[in-house]
Amino acid sequence: MNVDVDTINHLAELSNFSISEKECESLKKDLGEILKYVSLLDEVDVDGVEPTYQVFEMENVWREDAILPQEANRGQLLALSKEQKDNQVKVPKVL
Amino acid sequence: MKVANKTVSAVRLVQDALKKAHEFSDYNIFTFLNEEGALKKAREIDKKIARGEKVGRLAGVPYALKDNFLTPEGETTASAHILQGFSSPVTATAVKKLEDEGAIMIGRTNMDAFAHGSSTENSYFGPTLNSHDKTRVAGGSSGGSAVAVALDIVEFATGTDTGGSIRQPASFNGIYGLKPTYGCISRYGVVAMASSTDCVGFFTKDPDDMDLLMSIASGKDSKDLTTLDDYYNTETTSGRTIGVVKEFDNDSVAPEIRKALEEKCELLKSKGFEIVELEMPALKYALSAYYIIVPAEITSNLSRYDGIRYGFRSDDSNDLNKLYAKTRDDGFMPENKRRIMIGNFVLSSGFYDAYFLKAAKVRTLIVKEYEDAFKKCDFLLTPVAPNPAFKLGEKVNDPVAMYLEDMMSVSLNLAGVPGLTIPAGKTKDGLPLGLQLIGPRRSDKALIEFSKNLREVEE
Amino acid sequence: MKYYPTIGIECHVQLSTKTKLFSEVDNDARGKEPNSCVSPVDYALPGMLPRLNKEAVRFCILAGRAMNCEINAFSRFDRKHYFYPDSPKGYQITQFYQPIIGAGHVDLPSGVSVRINHAHLEGDAGKLTHFDTYSLVDFNRVDTPLIEIVSEPDIHSAKDAHDYCKELWRLMRYAGVTYGDLYNGNMRFDVNVSIAPEGSKELGTRAEVKNLNSFRSVERAVEYEISRQSKILDKGGKVIQETLGWNDATGVTTGQRSKEEAKDYRYMPEPDLPPIHLSDEYIKSESEKLPMMPADYREKFGKVIKEDILEILLDYPALMQKLDEMACDKAADTVALPLIANLFASVLLAEEKSAEYLNDLPSAKQLSELAEMNEKKELSSTATKEVFLKMFDPQMKNKDARTIAKELGVVQENDLGALEAIVDAVLKKPETLKAQEDFKAGSEKVLGFLVGQVMKESKGKANPSAVQDILRKKLA
Repeated sequence: MNVDVDTINHLAELSNFSISEKECESLKKDLGEILKYVSLLDEVDVDGVEPTYQVFEMENVWREDAILPQEANRGQLLALSKEQKDNQVKVPKVL
Repeated sequence: MKVANKTVSAVRLVQDALKKAHEFSDYNIFTFLNEEGALKKAREIDKKIARGEKVGRLAGVPYALKDNFLTPEGETTASAHILQGFSSPVTATAVKKLEDEGAIMIGRTNMDAFAHGSSTENSYFGPTLNSHDKTRVAGGSSGGSAVAVALDIVEFATGTDTGGSIRQPASFNGIYGLKPTYGCISRYGVVAMASSTDCVGFFTKDPDDMDLLMSIASGKDSKDLTTLDDYYNTETTSGRTIGVVKEFDNDSVAPEIRKALEEKCELLKSKGFEIVELEMPALKYALSAYYIIVPAEITSNLSRYDGIRYGFRSDDSNDLNKLYAKTRDDGFMPENKRRIMIGNFVLSSGFYDAYFLKAAKVRTLIVKEYEDAFKKCDFLLTPVAPNPAFKLGEKVNDPVAMYLEDMMSVSLNLAGVPGLTIPAGKTKDGLPLGLQLIGPRRSDKALIEFSKNLREVEE
Repeated sequence: MKYYPTIGIECHVQLSTKTKLFSEVDNDARGKEPNSCVSPVDYALPGMLPRLNKEAVRFCILAGRAMNCEINAFSRFDRKHYFYPDSPKGYQITQFYQPIIGAGHVDLPSGVSVRINHAHLEGDAGKLTHFDTYSLVDFNRVDTPLIEIVSEPDIHSAKDAHDYCKELWRLMRYAGVTYGDLYNGNMRFDVNVSIAPEGSKELGTRAEVKNLNSFRSVERAVEYEISRQSKILDKGGKVIQETLGWNDATGVTTGQRSKEEAKDYRYMPEPDLPPIHLSDEYIKSESEKLPMMPADYREKFGKVIKEDILEILLDYPALMQKLDEMACDKAADTVALPLIANLFASVLLAEEKSAEYLNDLPSAKQLSELAEMNEKKELSSTATKEVFLKMFDPQMKNKDARTIAKELGVVQENDLGALEAIVDAVLKKPETLKAQEDFKAGSEKVLGFLVGQVMKESKGKANPSAVQDILRKKLA
């Protein structure tokens, strides 16, 4: 898998990074090497093997539908944001 | 572990710890020192002791907290730029449990930003230095915690281990470090790296302390649906048969480490333990699978850092997309970006099956291989990392070389099995060596018990 | 040229659980202050983990069965990634690979059957309000449980699209899984419309109209799209696949995104939530809790109550239950039920009343008695309605029909003896003599005058037809 500039720019877009050209070059090199390394998996035969996403046997772990006090209130949470207005988080105009 | 009582005050213990923290400031261990908060808590505990009230099992014990545990003390930044300014209104479950027993956090420790790294060089605060050689890395990502314990500043420190971040720095600094079974300790309030492999664990100077900490911190948490039942104190098996992994016995591993492993095996044999050599061919692929699955989960878990609700925001742009992109570009370290982009690559349409799904299937093979191994032996004894602590700057600009440091540690996280780093002497240059004791899932206590026996055998 | 439209609909239903899908905060933010129903989990602080609400899973079983859907024994959650201020985690927790609700079908009154492809459980997004230079984010709605119902493209007219959405709305309310408050966005519809020349095998290129929140707007949007796309094809143009918005005021759809490249959501299995594995017993026992569905009522009352009336009443589950109770104490009733049904319909058609009138319905007993009195001619149709309305009146509503009728003084006098006495009294009056003569002489029309006199004498309580009979006898 060779990584070209377009791939890097696409990934940067998906990642929401505004990367410089210089950065783009080094990422091209690094990501290329990383993907080259992980392509070691090409030699593994996984026919008929089920994937593993979690390493425990638990199922149906859930809670009752009852309101409980929370660890932090609105004031504490909103206070963490850069800008607030009318008890809401203020952001640049969304187009 | 020194606990406060009628003769030794908690204030005294905390003052000593803080004093040492300042003495060793050049190691760049702490991102925040909790001086007032710690002393205040110490005074409360001393009052209780004076009044003859019951105090916890960790009364007045100073400890260091890895910077990725959420607490209201100081800022929880995971040593990342993008979390600068974030002081958490909530407290991690593991921390609550420790503090309920009277433990006192004296400071937050340095780490690779978001735990992405094996040397603590990827920190917004700069690297932490190795406890035995200031020209070398502390290991990572929990480097600060390991060095804080190794330099005897604190009795113990918390860590997180997603691919070796507790075990490797423990071995680089000559102390005990445990990565428990996945789900043994709650992840609630711990900055997530890779949810399916993240584990909370500890650094200690001896296995008895580890045992105590585990019996306190482990257990079911209604705030983390992936926590297991409270099995820690109930399940113990004693081991007589020790397996060594053929695939880890090759030139990629430093001679002194292979020697240390051989000596340990000889010692065990002489004491009547059985040593069996096992072939675990799938482990060869663990690192590749790990560096697909983990970046995918990283990409996902780090999507919430956008400068909108908390933490760092790049100089206010009036264009939302610019604000996102600038904030994330300035806020993440190069290694964070690499992993986020790799994650986006392996999840993106057209590549998901060939990369992420394939790796998830390889993960199944690795899980199975460990299950089979533990039919043939009680524990595995392996190196933790291929080398002792390496030089600062040696690998930081070569991601793949850095990843290879995790070669022998990541498979445990993919399989969810516990691993305990035990000290194993020193190199001729005086660098600590460590070995990794691996057991089946839920064998955490057995591992610790075994390491106690091993210690006695050695003395 | 004639075109054949093909329509598929995705419907988002907000579930009426007490708490959110992944945290223990109030799920009903209607009329509450911004961000007053937000937990650290919804706000997506670092290190926060989802805590699945069991009731939301149970609701999926009810909703699924209401649509004749398979309930999948095994399901799990996935993450759908996108950056937007209303999505604090940077991803939505949904079910992409293994949804909980499988294939089924919804049958419309018209007889059209729409197949359901699947339905999945997911968390809602927050709410953005836009101002000239900035936007404000309210996270109250974050991770309100949603079921997204995905239909097969089995709909071929604007009317069927309307009826399908309305039937879904009914089914979800009968199943009791949503408030069904469209005004508050409890149900939102995305409509995929394509057209192809009549008889052609392939489907045309589809356009998706997103976020419709009323049946009427669904119908109008589909009508508009059909004609818009027809015009394009007539001119030999091509319909482009795009996402559109609907403007209810102008009645026009407009392109939402300028560059419409397929979004890459990078779905990934959710590692923080253990999978769901439902036993057959559990699915069965929950399914059995479903009440009678609209289809059941159509089956049961279709022959007794006129279809147009029934379809009006079917919008009100509580009301249908009431009719069913009545039907229980008077089985296969062909008189009382239609009467009461008509009364309800007449009230409900007076729009502004409907809501309040349905908060607190009369008892089945009251209604049955009312119907009986009407049947026995003790109440004229006007009087029947009068009494019926009083049954909703706070002062009167606990009294039985007869008491109310008496208090209103509208019970008709049917006692023949008493009536004869009144008639005799009237016939003795000099002013009626002329009319009596004329009648005997064969003039029918004067009878009305005489009946009127008797009604007057009886202060309106006499049963007019009975009075006529007596008059005819006496003047024969």
